[in-house]
Amino acid sequence: MSIMEYNGGSVIAMVGKDCVAIASDLRLGNQALGISSNFQKIFPVTDRIYLGLPGLATDVTTLREVFRFRVNMYTIKEEREIEPETFAHLVSSTLYERRFGPYFIEPVMAGLSKVATGGFKPFIAATDLIGCLNFAKDFVVAGTASSKLYGAAEGLWEPDLEPEQLFETISQTMLNAVDRDAYSGWGVVVHVIEKDKITTRTLKGRMD
Amino acid sequence: MATAAVYSSPGFDFSNEIRNNFLASKGIPLPKATSTGTTIVGCIFEDGIILGADTRATEGPIVADKNCEKIHYITESIRCCGAGTAADTEFVTNLISSNMEMHALTHNRKPRVVTAMTMLKQYLFRYQGHVGAALVLGGVDATGPNLFTIAPHGSTDKLPYVTMGSGSLAAMAVFESGWRKGMSREEALTLVKSAISAGIFNDLGSGSNVDACIITANNTEMLRNVEMPNERVQKERTYVFPKGTTAWKKEEVRKLVVQEEVRLVGEAMDTD
Amino acid sequence: MASADGVFSPSGKLVQIEHALAAVSQGTTSLGIKASNGIVIATEKKSPSILVDDSMLEKVAIVCPNIGIVYSGMGPDFRVLLTRARKSAQAYWKRYGEYPPTRVLTQEIATVMQQATQSGGVRPYGVSLLVAGWDIHRGPTLYQVDPSGSYWAWKASAIGKNMVNAKTFLEKRYNDDISLEDAIHTALLTLKEGFEGQMTEKTIELGVITVPTPAEIEEGRTGAATGRPKPTFRKLTEEEVRDYLAL
Repeated sequence: MSIMEYNGGSVIAMVGKDCVAIASDLRLGNQALGISSNFQKIFPVTDRIYLGLPGLATDVTTLREVFRFRVNMYTIKEEREIEPETFAHLVSSTLYERRFGPYFIEPVMAGLSKVATGGFKPFIAATDLIGCLNFAKDFVVAGTASSKLYGAAEGLWEPDLEPEQLFETISQTMLNAVDRDAYSGWGVVVHVIEKDKITTRTLKGRMD
Repeated sequence: MATAAVYSSPGFDFSNEIRNNFLASKGIPLPKATSTGTTIVGCIFEDGIILGADTRATEGPIVADKNCEKIHYITESIRCCGAGTAADTEFVTNLISSNMEMHALTHNRKPRVVTAMTMLKQYLFRYQGHVGAALVLGGVDATGPNLFTIAPHGSTDKLPYVTMGSGSLAAMAVFESGWRKGMSREEALTLVKSAISAGIFNDLGSGSNVDACIITANNTEMLRNVEMPNERVQKERTYVFPKGTTAWKKEEVRKLVVQEEVRLVGEAMDTD
Repeated sequence: MASADGVFSPSGKLVQIEHALAAVSQGTTSLGIKASNGIVIATEKKSPSILVDDSMLEKVAIVCPNIGIVYSGMGPDFRVLLTRARKSAQAYWKRYGEYPPTRVLTQEIATVMQQATQSGGVRPYGVSLLVAGWDIHRGPTLYQVDPSGSYWAWKASAIGKNMVNAKTFLEKRYNDDISLEDAIHTALLTLKEGFEGQMTEKTIELGVITVPTPAEIEEGRTGAATGRPKPTFRKLTEEEVRDYLAL
């Protein structure tokens, strides 16, 4: 067994038309034994950046605090909110600092970044456990269900989905992938980020 | 602060070592990091250097990124292809790029390819192969075109045509049969494209598209996705789900402020 | 630990800082002007003897592609600060994947200079700096940093030997919608006041910030061609300086 499977859990992020979505399951396990069905793995970083941290639960909690601290220090020093691209680099360099003694986390980020010509642009990214960035144009996945999520998302995702359509696509991708992963499931939470609002929905999922 | 500190290591943090070693001793192995199976190549032609790379990143048997960038920026006229542990190739090239910029600023001249090569090999040797970067370094400087390979343990080679990564054998087969001295730009680019294609189609660790970079004395041309032989065909039908497919238990909406407008109401305040 | 020299005088002054400022006001004049579409920083370069090879002297320097600085005061102290500033910019780039905004970099330099006013065994830096930079958040900005470590943002400022006259001159000449070209000419005219000797491309150094268009910014962010945004600060070549002096 890999340490990444100790507590279970998965996260996915998808790009839509002027919007992004990020979803995770809600399970916390002790290997095969389910412990909690309300273990949040996605955290807001700024108004328009959400960060998903699938992996070893103790590191989820630790890294959440590490990033909260670093982002707060950044906000104070620069007197402005961090942009998604900058935050992605911060995540990457923070993880690479521990190249030879890593945290067991594969972060997934979703957000909207300001464009110099005005307006917002969808942004998603993911890194491996030592901080190698992956800026995808379509979707990024991580966690124990990642192999299933890749397949489902590859089939279901398409470009320029409107927020409501994106919600359905990411939800169906997530629900169907975690149903075939023993370590993920026990409910799903989805965040759809638009320029003027964030919609958070808790889905009905299998409880076995 | 001594000048030598300019080239200091990023300073790794080993504080999770004890915990992670304990887990390893319980029979729980370290998870795999993203690696680039990779075909990367470089060759000299009459006016300079052409570097080439595929765009697949893998995590074990999974394709983690279908279109990643493996030709990294070192300076305006020096670039570096990376194979091996993806994070290591990214960070080691960034570090050396940063050091080269400092070098250029302090000495007021364009730095040479051998300088980058020496910085890279000394850094990799210091980490005894644990920083898993296999590199193809190429560029043009005051001494002319230069092409090197740097292995993860820090050994280097200087050759007119080189390949690295899991697809290196496939690519080298193409170079060995097709490379000639003093090739033109077009001939060399065609050769690099077919060497990378050999890797893409014959090596499982390599795939997707061809990236190339042509470096000459006064110009660097980055040809991102110069060939895309594996583009996905348009889906015949769409899989958009009708609204209401997914049942949800709870919904929360957080409104964000997009535009603020201040409007004066009533009498203006007397500010005198 | 504070040394006996680094303590307040009964009137609330730190004499070492006063002395450092005196060292600055013995240095050759430097100035900066913020224009509507950029910034110019300029300085007078004077060698003590005609026998000195002045081709190696550098007073206007690049810190990182979006920030440049110029100094008045002690050359050796400036070079130490310049190296620290460059290292700080590189460290920022390694962490955030972009170069620091002007304000953050200025704060870093100011912190280094402040520490020299409060640490044992050291003296304050004998320089004042003008920091010109461009960043996406605040656009073009011009800062001055003094030996005490205090810093301000300016529309136009001058430091060094002739700073009082130069500032008076700039106050008369400055307006908010001056163009970069006009600002360069104003900079040269200001230096001309009280300039000893001949103004040539060998005795004048100029650096400019050029504000990129929104399209250029977007291209720099996503540009696969170089992978790097285009520099916004550059030093003018001797030929360019000669052309401006000829006008």
